[in-house]
Amino acid sequence: MSQESLLQEIAVCVERGKVNEQSPYPPDLKGQPGADELTRKVLDMGASADQVLSEGLVPGMKIVGIKFRENKIFVPEVLMAAKAMTAGMNHLRPYFQSGEVQRKGTFIIGTVMGDLHDIGKNLLGMIVEGAGWEVIDLGIDVPAVKFLAALEEHPGAFIGLSCLLTTTMLNMERIVQDVRDSRPDAKILIGGAPVTDEFKTKIGANWYSPDPQGAVDFLNKQVS
Amino acid sequence: MKGKELLINTIRGEETSRTPWVPFVGVHGGYLIGTTADLYLQSSELMIQGLSKAVELYQPDGLPVCFDLQIEAEALGCRLNWSPDNPPAVVTHPLAEGVALKTLKIPGPKDGRIPMVMETAREMRKKFPELGLYGLVTGPFTLALHLLGTDIFMKMFEDPEGIRELLTFTAEVTSTMAGYYLDAGCDIIAMVDPMTSQIGPEQFKEFIHEPASSVFNFIRKSGALSSFFVCGHAQQNIEVMSQTGPDNVSIDENIPLDFVREVCKKYDISFGGNLQLTMVLLMGSEEDCMQHAWECITTADSPRFILAPGCDLPMKTPPENIRAITRLVNDPYQQEVIQALGKTSSKPELLNLDDYGNIDKVIVDIITLDSESCAPCQYMVEAVKQVAPHFEGIVEWREHSIKDFEGITFMSSLFVKNIPTICIDGKITFVSKIPPKNELIRAIQKRINEKLKSRLRIKPGEILLAGESGEELTELKRKTELALAELGTKLDVRIETGEEFRQNLGVADTPAWISVKYRIRSEGRQPTIEVIKEWIKDLL
Repeated sequence: MSQESLLQEIAVCVERGKVNEQSPYPPDLKGQPGADELTRKVLDMGASADQVLSEGLVPGMKIVGIKFRENKIFVPEVLMAAKAMTAGMNHLRPYFQSGEVQRKGTFIIGTVMGDLHDIGKNLLGMIVEGAGWEVIDLGIDVPAVKFLAALEEHPGAFIGLSCLLTTTMLNMERIVQDVRDSRPDAKILIGGAPVTDEFKTKIGANWYSPDPQGAVDFLNKQVS
Repeated sequence: MKGKELLINTIRGEETSRTPWVPFVGVHGGYLIGTTADLYLQSSELMIQGLSKAVELYQPDGLPVCFDLQIEAEALGCRLNWSPDNPPAVVTHPLAEGVALKTLKIPGPKDGRIPMVMETAREMRKKFPELGLYGLVTGPFTLALHLLGTDIFMKMFEDPEGIRELLTFTAEVTSTMAGYYLDAGCDIIAMVDPMTSQIGPEQFKEFIHEPASSVFNFIRKSGALSSFFVCGHAQQNIEVMSQTGPDNVSIDENIPLDFVREVCKKYDISFGGNLQLTMVLLMGSEEDCMQHAWECITTADSPRFILAPGCDLPMKTPPENIRAITRLVNDPYQQEVIQALGKTSSKPELLNLDDYGNIDKVIVDIITLDSESCAPCQYMVEAVKQVAPHFEGIVEWREHSIKDFEGITFMSSLFVKNIPTICIDGKITFVSKIPPKNELIRAIQKRINEKLKSRLRIKPGEILLAGESGEELTELKRKTELALAELGTKLDVRIETGEEFRQNLGVADTPAWISVKYRIRSEGRQPTIEVIKEWIKDLL
């Protein structure tokens, strides 16, 4: 199989959530190699890490993001896709560390203080990572100081705030203010079930998206 | 018709008189009585107090006994993180930490907070026999997620049998809880399964259909009514939810009501919900809430619709916002007002009314729906009509009906929110209530006085210094003149030494400093006795 068709296979594995050969899911690909094996193979054949990322993993995850936005697939499928993506991505880590492959930028995410919900935030992290960004996940219940500290460490990074509760939306507002007080130029994206575009305008965040792919589109536009 | 009867008839599709209203008071009940969410959800006494307050303030047709989806999980060993302004959150998942499913037992009536919640239900039943009482049970999928954590999503693919077994168990827990609530006197069991919004209809059919159906069968066999609550983006699942056999489906703001109506019609079931929790109920104004509630009612356009928020009310939802919806639901006249306001799709350009009222006359504006067809508006206009002649030409009044665009523009420009309203010289003075004649006269007179005051500013007053002799007053006069000079103003300072003068004024000791201010209350006309009385009162 040519490098090119292997890269396309990798994209399909990510899209369908095929992790590795042992993985029983999806049933129609049972017994076949997954993102894990195919990534190793194509790297061994001489493909660059950059190619694997931009022609295999990223296109696969982009389709996932779009299908999720269009309600064609749901959380379980996205999580399987992310698992497959991570299996491929693991082979690329040394290249990221050596600086051979550059990511598009850094995205610092966290669920806001007072809120312990992480499904939405995790999905966003996976899809943004799958779009070629470095994702720094600060976890749940994150106060403004932690976002500021991470921003200090990763200058120029974008910040993503998530919340699920109506009450913690108010914390989101406070965090945006606190971050802005110290870093007026910080670029802040917000999301989560109760959040709306109207709310984004009200609290002075830069971008709202009802789905992860919208965040990817916004981020990519900022660096293109 | 109201309360339980109205709710039951709506759910069953029988005749009703209006849309039933069920504000989902959860931890908001704690807010109503000034306590925190954690204390509230752990005390039967506080919950009864909070719910009773909600009954008093919101006159609901139904209320949930306890809106906390962690009760079953807690009884099954999940650790909770308590919060002062939210229901608790599950922070540990026993099945993800090595506990085996087969070691878990269906919670008994004395486990965890179950006895406390059932005590609340029994007391509420006794206290409010006419109120529709909802018993809220955690749905099988959400409970399974509490027990296993988010791994459940991938395990649906990687270990489907294991997940089916888990859901069979959690559905049994759900039915058992439903039974406890029914024994305690609840009328409707709402199975709340918000996490199902995260999966697609195929997975729903494969994993959720059977356990959910078993719960609704149990409720039906017990002779009670059921509802399937979901929140989040669950539009894809409304049809498959309806196929599990609930009597009602309740959804949040993410799903269009007309879509839900059509699906529910097909399955001959009732539906409800949809009020926007944050942007409207929590952060909006009373008017926004009424407008939005009316939108829900008209979009639903069905006798089988129950007006309710999409989920439990945020703790600190302003009670006046919820009360505004209560007024709308109960008062056809309020509905007419909201309807008239809603007809203007474009926002009117506000008039600049900064200088409004800066003329000699006092202008009384009455903002009405239309005094010919709306009784409260008619009485308000009558009240002004009767009073205006007392002021003989000084007072000019006009009615602005919001059935005209001009009326709405005027209303918005004066920031009037309620109908009918009386504004005096552009200032909102009487809202909704028809003022008694003397109150209205007083308000108008107050405005006239204010205007006269401003006119009098140019007329000097005078200062009288009263004493036994001119010598006694020398020092006081010096100080007064100094004060006038420092203020840069000029007023006459008169010395009065006559005893009779002091007696007339009631001066007990000397030296005395007396200010005199003249006010012209009327010129060139004959004021009525009513009006003169007001002037006299002002002097007393």
